[in-house]
Amino acid sequence: MGSAKLDGQVQSDWRWLIAAYLFLAGVGGGAYLAGVVADLAGGAEWMLVSKIGVFLSVPCVLIGTFFLLADLGTPTHAWRVWMKPGTSWIARGTIIIVIFMILAAVHTAFWIWPFAGPLEVNESARHFLGILGALFAFLTVIYTGLLLGYSQPIALWRTALLPVLFFVSAISTGLMGIMIIAQSMGIAVAQLDLMENIDAVILVFEVFVLAVYVYNAYRTLESRPSAQRILSGPVASYFWLGVVVCGLAIPLILELMGRHGAILTIGALLGLFGGLCLRFTILVGGIYTPMRAAGFEFARIHRPKDPIPAMGKLPPS
Amino acid sequence: MALTNASKVKEDVWIPTCCGQCYCMCGIKVRRQDGVVTEVEGNPDAPTGRGKICVKGLASPHLLYDPYRVNYPLKRTNPEKGIGVDPKFVRISWEEAMDLIVAKMKACQEKDSRGLYFQATTTQASEIRYGVTGFMRAFGTPNYWVSGGGLHCGNGAHFMNGIMHVAWSIIPDFAHCRLPLNFGCSKGHGAGHVAVQNATQAADARAWGSRTITFDPMQSAQASKAHEWVPIRVGTDGAMALGLVNVLLNDLGVWDAEYLKYKTNGPYLVRPSDGRYMRDKETKKPLVWDLVDKRPKVHNDPSVTRVQYEDQAHDVALLGEYEVDGVQCRPGFELLKEHVKKYTPEYVEGITFVPASTIRRIGKQIAENAEIGATVTIETDEGPKKIPKRPIAAHFFRGSQGHVNSGWTCLSIDMINHMVGAADTWGGAMGLGAAVGAGYKPTGKPYQIPYPDNDGLLMCRAWVYDHVPYPLRKPKPPTRLDLHDMFPTSIYNAFTIMNPKWFEMLDVFKIPYRPDIMINFGSNSVMTMGNAEIVTENFLKKFKFIFSFQLYITEFEEAVADIVLPDTCFLERYTPAVSFPSTFSHPTGEDDWGWTIRQPVIEPMYERRDFNVVMMDISKRLGILHKYYKALNDVTVVRYGGAMSDEYKLCEDGSEEHTWEEVVDRMLKDRFGPEHGLEHVRKKGVFTWPKRKEDVYWKWFNPSRVPIYFEYFIDAGEQITEICRQFDPEKKYIGLDWSVFKPLADWYPCPTHTEKNPEFDLHAFYWRAVTQTNSMTQQNPYLDEMSQEDTIVFGIQMHSRTAAGKGIKEGDLVWVENPEGKKIKGWVTLSEGIEPSHLAFAAILGHWGEYMPIAKGKGAFFNDLVMMDEPHTDPLTLNQDICCRVKIYKA
Amino acid sequence: MARYGMVIDLNRCYGCYACAMACKVANRTPPGVFWARVLRGEMGVFPNSVRQALPVLCNQCEEPDCMKVCPTGATYKTDDGIVRVDKDKCIGCAYCVIACPYGARYKVDDWKSYFPEGLPLSPYEEHTKQYWEQKSGLGVSTKCDFCIDRRAEGKEPACVQACSAKARVFGDLDDPESEISYLIKTKRGFVLRPEVGTEPKVYYLPPR
Ligand SMILES: Nc1nc2c(c(=O)[nH]1)N[C@H]1C(S)=C(S)[C@@H](COP(=O)(O)OP(=O)(O)OC[C@H]3O[C@@H](n4cnc5c(=O)[nH]c(N)nc54)[C@H](O)[C@@H]3O)O[C@H]1N2
Ligand SMILES: Nc1nc2c(c(=O)[nH]1)N[C@H]1C(S)=C(S)[C@@H](COP(=O)(O)OP(=O)(O)OC[C@H]3O[C@@H](n4cnc5c(=O)[nH]c(N)nc54)[C@H](O)[C@@H]3O)O[C@H]1N2
Ligand code: SF4
Ligand code: SF4
Ligand code: SF4
Ligand code: SF4
Ligand code: SF4
Ligand SMILES: [Mo]
Repeated sequence: MGSAKLDGQVQSDWRWLIAAYLFLAGVGGGAYLAGVVADLAGGAEWMLVSKIGVFLSVPCVLIGTFFLLADLGTPTHAWRVWMKPGTSWIARGTIIIVIFMILAAVHTAFWIWPFAGPLEVNESARHFLGILGALFAFLTVIYTGLLLGYSQPIALWRTALLPVLFFVSAISTGLMGIMIIAQSMGIAVAQLDLMENIDAVILVFEVFVLAVYVYNAYRTLESRPSAQRILSGPVASYFWLGVVVCGLAIPLILELMGRHGAILTIGALLGLFGGLCLRFTILVGGIYTPMRAAGFEFARIHRPKDPIPAMGKLPPS
Repeated sequence: MALTNASKVKEDVWIPTCCGQCYCMCGIKVRRQDGVVTEVEGNPDAPTGRGKICVKGLASPHLLYDPYRVNYPLKRTNPEKGIGVDPKFVRISWEEAMDLIVAKMKACQEKDSRGLYFQATTTQASEIRYGVTGFMRAFGTPNYWVSGGGLHCGNGAHFMNGIMHVAWSIIPDFAHCRLPLNFGCSKGHGAGHVAVQNATQAADARAWGSRTITFDPMQSAQASKAHEWVPIRVGTDGAMALGLVNVLLNDLGVWDAEYLKYKTNGPYLVRPSDGRYMRDKETKKPLVWDLVDKRPKVHNDPSVTRVQYEDQAHDVALLGEYEVDGVQCRPGFELLKEHVKKYTPEYVEGITFVPASTIRRIGKQIAENAEIGATVTIETDEGPKKIPKRPIAAHFFRGSQGHVNSGWTCLSIDMINHMVGAADTWGGAMGLGAAVGAGYKPTGKPYQIPYPDNDGLLMCRAWVYDHVPYPLRKPKPPTRLDLHDMFPTSIYNAFTIMNPKWFEMLDVFKIPYRPDIMINFGSNSVMTMGNAEIVTENFLKKFKFIFSFQLYITEFEEAVADIVLPDTCFLERYTPAVSFPSTFSHPTGEDDWGWTIRQPVIEPMYERRDFNVVMMDISKRLGILHKYYKALNDVTVVRYGGAMSDEYKLCEDGSEEHTWEEVVDRMLKDRFGPEHGLEHVRKKGVFTWPKRKEDVYWKWFNPSRVPIYFEYFIDAGEQITEICRQFDPEKKYIGLDWSVFKPLADWYPCPTHTEKNPEFDLHAFYWRAVTQTNSMTQQNPYLDEMSQEDTIVFGIQMHSRTAAGKGIKEGDLVWVENPEGKKIKGWVTLSEGIEPSHLAFAAILGHWGEYMPIAKGKGAFFNDLVMMDEPHTDPLTLNQDICCRVKIYKA
Repeated sequence: MARYGMVIDLNRCYGCYACAMACKVANRTPPGVFWARVLRGEMGVFPNSVRQALPVLCNQCEEPDCMKVCPTGATYKTDDGIVRVDKDKCIGCAYCVIACPYGARYKVDDWKSYFPEGLPLSPYEEHTKQYWEQKSGLGVSTKCDFCIDRRAEGKEPACVQACSAKARVFGDLDDPESEISYLIKTKRGFVLRPEVGTEPKVYYLPPR
């Protein structure tokens, strides 16, 4: 029997910068997906929404990749990520992102003068580009889950639910981004209402996915310490306040209230913040599974950190 | 940066020398690259370590270069002293420091040189035995102590081991011992006197299937590695051991009759009236009963003695009643056998918390594994010889000895070995280090072969101090500030000097002088002894002037030092002998003898100066330099195995001065011949020569016996009672119970065991973490970091269930308070690996010194709970009790 | 070509941290970086509880996850099977750190002193800083390399040499006559986390 208080080492290499990247890639990809859907399903009436979605994607993902670059130990060598594209999700991911950004940029560009013509006119070309882009947006959104899921020692990440969760959150936060801008551009109330309702449904679904994800993590022995860290440990405030309250509960309530204006903006901003917190929570909630050998569990006991030495008095010299 | 010229040189060298981060004296090799010390490794040429090294030794570059090291002489400018007082140290020149010191010392010399008190750290044991002792003799003061050293780790242990094994400590013959029994010691598992070599030996033993039983209140390293961990209540090992002896003698009827008859005083006849030996009228030698000739004989009559195992002798009586000169008398062994009957397993269970069935079973295991009667043949200089094979060994150290029953507890544990003949023979309990040797053949030095006295009992030839453990000194009217002269069995004590009425006591005991100057060499006695306030207020503040050789400004210097002198650390100085006297930290076993030296791997940085050199300088300024040389010559005899020859003697007549390097060189040439001086030895850092097997397993090659019946304690008890009565008839100052001076071992409870207040429901004690030495290494950031890796070092270890009962959780901040109202703060770490009524503390943590920021504020300061008063003193050895009854509550 | 591996005998090991410190000193690793490490485990309920130490280091896996996830090829295997990081190719993405099932990798962004901030570096720290920056580099992933430099000088790995329990044996797994091959075969040698399929080359012998 292992002693209950044994706690593994906490993942500390990927923190806010990577969370920001995961989040922005999510928002970008989600917004693009929403934009394409709006175009495909809504037609001309939804053109503005579609454009906002597509327009949002490139800057979000681009800024995200800057965060990614900033996290690198030697950003100047970043070009090397393509030296070995076969086996690494980072290499694959960067390829996906780049293709996505190119497609989305083309898509964006074609809606801007002087290129605006062809796509606006040629609906099928636009739809084709949109679907192709959406495929890569989808990959952009879920590959981050696969990337984390490849880590053998962090059981919290090793689940097929993670890409699903990231996907749902991406769509929701993408939509929220669109709503904020759309509202400020004076979009029709009915359209806003519809988007709010759709987002509310997605949020409910996200609550469900998140609950299953966390429950599963708790149920699995390997990831239980992570689940505890998230639910009641040092990460709990990000989870409960950031993810659950700001990211899910408040936006959901506000959306259900159906009010527009500042309230909608606040709700959506909180929702976006929640999306960031979600990525952060999952990153730093990760705990390396204790090593098991010869019947023992080997890890470090979780205990208060001793003070980092402050400058003492130096002997006179 | 005051780096020497060496820093400009392109170089990459490994210099063999000796570690000094604990007293184990491992041979090491130190790498110097371009003038900077960068790496440390074990020195394969040195038997002490044989190329292996411990975590602390490896971390020593940080000790050498710590920016918090003291680099210049410092003077206190705040006249107020005490804990928490800012000393307001300022830098002064060496000249000024020496002038100040020498002026004070001259004044002291004129008034009464005995006012000088030397305090030293055990961690630099080699300097204590030579420089410190030499200077004390030259200056003319008998007053010294090594603070926690000895009183925590040896007054009982070293005394008893000296009597029974002519050694400072004992250790299983790991190479052949099938059943080592560890009573409260980490020997072979990270601490003890030869930590590294013993760890190798113990690991080899595990590998070939030796099975250890460890008695320890917590699951220490040695308990984790043992085949069986027996959680035992602190301070009760003596009862446990006597229980085992009882099972052997009275339940199982097992003992090694040959051994007891010819190698102990078990057959000596004792008269019932006063417990004394029956003695031969003429020679005064004790008598034994010859069962063949049916008459008494003196103990060493050739017909009844067997020196070597294959010698023939008449059978002698161990049991029965015999008439000698009209007196009905009985052999001491029979008295012992009767005496231990009261330690029934059930009685012992009540004391120790160890189930009676376990005690019976372990007794049986000892009996079976001892293989009484079995022999092996070893190759000696005189050809193959048969000796007994006894592959069991009960050994002990700091844990079991740190109690008011210290002396008897140590003896009781060792008694297990002597009952089955497992002492200093193949597979048994051996004197540690190599206690016996005829020296390097060409010179015959160091010579340390023990010999019997008139009573036939074992006498040390080589010892760490002048006063050998046997025969006992006769109690005399005191001259020392701790009244030590009155007490025949101790090296020093704390209960006198820590008494709030110390000076009154000195009046009563007619000590004509008072403490004046203290020289401190390293020890941080404010932390290493006991309650810091008591040590500081009752003792240290009584000195008018204190100067201290140190590496750091520790809590001691902050509280009381007037001058701090920047000493070199072990990497910056010469030490002539570190693995000798071999009874201290030389490995036991069949490996070679090795005389290790210390040599600087780097010139002293800044204004650091070697303690040894400074002491010579002080001697010179005091005009006692040649007295000092003479004293060094004199202390060499007992410590380093024989007198210095005229050729190499340090000059005693004032005609010549020596550098410290020369002193080292002379000692080496004297011991090993002119061709083996410093120039030769420095190449390998060690001089080695082969060990004879008969020196390893020396028991059946030496004509001495050891006592199992302590007749001479009766006299000592009477003498000590009498002398105390002379000065202090009403026992106002000394109320110790001298009745413990008696011939047979017993167990006595500590205050911990008799505490009546049910609130104080836990026993607190400490243990050694492998990553720390006492109070010293906490400032080393490598070791600090590594200690944090160990899950149980910095917290107060507590059993999960006990904690749950009190609503205490992992990481909670708590107070731990003793019945005297002293309390300490720390945080709790939970475990299953501790007896549920105990709390365990590692090392000496909880530093508060401003000048040791890495150490500061980490862990709990256990020693603040240690009371250094009479109730916590062992009357037999004056050892300190270091377990306490406590309560714990959330802070 | 040799295929280097190590055996750690948990029966011999008594958890003394010398290996971890020897590695630290030999490789001048900065604070918080333990290429060799000693973990602690406890099992069972009093009085039948047991403690055991588990010394860990890079397993020099045959099928290393760290190498699989490395996007740049900075992580590579030498001919004798040692998994190394080419500091000039590494971009410091830390993916390998997160993916190594054994926690054997450390990404070090800035070299830090062991002493409180604001003090001038001691000569030893100057030296360790230089050594680290030259050999291991900053902003990149680092790990045990089975003491490649020491072995070039004909020495054993530092952790092996220091171990007073002689619990660690270094050798060639391909040589059936080598001590480590013999120990693994005859003393129930096992590897950590065999289920992840990385095929470690550090083997352990059972604690009792
Ligand atoms: N709680 C608790 N108390 C204990 C112990 C314990 O384990 N726990 N251990 C006890 C035992 S057995 C002992 S022996 C004592 C030891 O107590 P001390 O003899 O006081 O020894 P250390 O605590 O090792 O401290 C050694 C001191 O010497 C200094 N020093 C080291 N090297 C040199 C040198 O070369 N020159 C000079 N001038 N100074 C040097 C160090 O800076 C340090 O301050 O403590 C006892 N007290
Ligand atoms: N790593 C390291 N090595 C050292 C030192 C150091 O500080 N650190 N100091 C050196 C010095 S000065 C000394 S004196 C030696 C000491 O060497 P040892 O005496 O071998 O070392 P300790 O760890 O103090 O051993 C005490 C053990 O006894 C247990 N114990 C405590 N009280 C009791 C008791 O009442 N009964 C029983 N059965 N067990 C008890 C403790 O849990 C601990 O496991 O080590 C020397 N070597
Ligand atoms: S056991 Fe003591 S002397 Fe030996 S290397 Fe460790 S600290 Fe140094
Ligand atoms: S040095 Fe050896 S005994 Fe010590 S922890 Fe490492 S492997 Fe174990
Ligand atoms: S142990 Fe980790 S770092 Fe080492 S080779 Fe295997 S996967 Fe890579
Ligand atoms: S940190 Fe360096 S070695 Fe590790 S995966 Fe990234 S590029 Fe490869
Ligand atoms: S082989 Fe060398 S680098 Fe690897 S853990 Fe051991 S000492 Fe460190
Ligand atoms: Mo000691």
